[in-house]
Amino acid sequence: MKQIKKTFRLLRRSPYQALAAALAMSLTFFVSSVFVVLIIGGQMVLNYIERRPQVIVFFKDDVNDTQINEIINEVDSTNLSSGVKYVSKEEALAIYRERNKDDPLLLESVTADFLPASIDISVKKAQDINGIAQIVKDRPEVDKVITPENLVNQLVKWTSTLRLGGIVFVTTLLSVSFLIVIMVIGMRIAIRREEISIMSLVGATKWYIAKPFFIEGALYGIIGSSIAVFLVYGALLFYSPNIQEFLGPIQVFPIDPRFFLYLWAGEGLVAAAVGIIGAGIALARYLRVK
Amino acid sequence: MINFQQVSKKFPTGQIALEEIDVEIPDGDFIFIVGPSGAGKSTLLKLLTREILPTTGTIFYNKEDIFKIPAKKIPQLRRKIGTVFQDFKLLLNRTVFENVALPLEVLGRSDAEIEKIVSVTLDKVGILDKAESFPLQLSGGEIQRTAIARAIVSSPEVLLADEPTGDLDPKTAKEIVELLNQINSELKTTILMATHNMTIVDHFKKRILELDNGKLVKDHKTTKTHETN
Repeated sequence: MKQIKKTFRLLRRSPYQALAAALAMSLTFFVSSVFVVLIIGGQMVLNYIERRPQVIVFFKDDVNDTQINEIINEVDSTNLSSGVKYVSKEEALAIYRERNKDDPLLLESVTADFLPASIDISVKKAQDINGIAQIVKDRPEVDKVITPENLVNQLVKWTSTLRLGGIVFVTTLLSVSFLIVIMVIGMRIAIRREEISIMSLVGATKWYIAKPFFIEGALYGIIGSSIAVFLVYGALLFYSPNIQEFLGPIQVFPIDPRFFLYLWAGEGLVAAAVGIIGAGIALARYLRVK
Repeated sequence: MINFQQVSKKFPTGQIALEEIDVEIPDGDFIFIVGPSGAGKSTLLKLLTREILPTTGTIFYNKEDIFKIPAKKIPQLRRKIGTVFQDFKLLLNRTVFENVALPLEVLGRSDAEIEKIVSVTLDKVGILDKAESFPLQLSGGEIQRTAIARAIVSSPEVLLADEPTGDLDPKTAKEIVELLNQINSELKTTILMATHNMTIVDHFKKRILELDNGKLVKDHKTTKTHETN
């Protein structure tokens, strides 16, 4: 506690350098938090799509139950699907009626014979949609196969790109923050060179001299990451109605507050580690105690 | 007991600061180290705190070769040796109290202990009323007393004083050495004081180590034979 108080006293003596280091950390961890939220959000959208029936197989009119069961068994045997649901002509008519209940004209002339029987296949992984579609497409009993292939492929591509871009961007910002911490603490060591030399001459150990700088580095990280997580949390709360409207039926709100607690703890740890390692490098580079 | 054995120091520039110094300093002694500027007085003191290393020879402190002490144990050596530096080395942005408290902070003493010990020490050196002043607000004598207070606050076994009377008027200079003498007799602290103020040296009649061009030319008690400057 005494050391932390002492560190704060030192920070107050040159607040602009401290502010620069903490803000650099904030920026880094703000961007990191945004990427984490986007990646997790993207994953939630993907999960939602994956849980929906993504492959709809329409059968020709003359197909019997044995043939349909054979196709269902074939799909099951691939182990790529998480569920197959058979929709008979009658069930299809019921769905059609439900969807068009407000438009009597559309309901009048339609009977079960007009609508094909179908199966809705949910896949375990969105990437397997194409594979399953290919298996059923060539069967003579199948009339038509509908897949949201392009949408899923694009989503998978986006999330992968986001992940890769996030890693590159955040790594770059982390490196910049790291260098700023080294520079700021290096400057502080230079400013306090005489004091350090005197402390050494009156019997201070290297650890005693170095400890406030390590605490300082950790504080930059903890303060910076806390500001970042707080800002992202606030922004998400503020924009949640707009985001939910954009996502439509995909429910992402309310976000469990524990998620932000874990994000704060995780980023706080990484940021403190960056600060401490940065301080360590600055000390090794600039601290010369005789 | 401090024992210099064949200690020589040659700087990279080629200048020989000390040459084959052999001296034995018993515990509780008060010694003046005299000689002209560049004679090697400060070098001798810096060797004792291991600020610099000798070129040859060694120094034993309580039978321990101080140049064989591992680097991590140097702070422990320095805690036994208080130093009054020629340029004071006071922190200008800290008060007298904070400057004097520094060695105790380093030792990890509690705030209450620091408060008590620093107050007693400041009282002893006669500047208790200046505790909250900053070094720039002090006179030369008060600065010197602050430096002495910091050097003795942790009760070191040895006190090194490098030209502590350098910029002081004769009266204040005498007061400062009287203070050192008092510390020596009351606390039994071994004192090595580098000076070229022969008036002071003659007045206090202590053992003298006389250096010239890095060589120990005399080791004797004052006999008032020196010319005063």
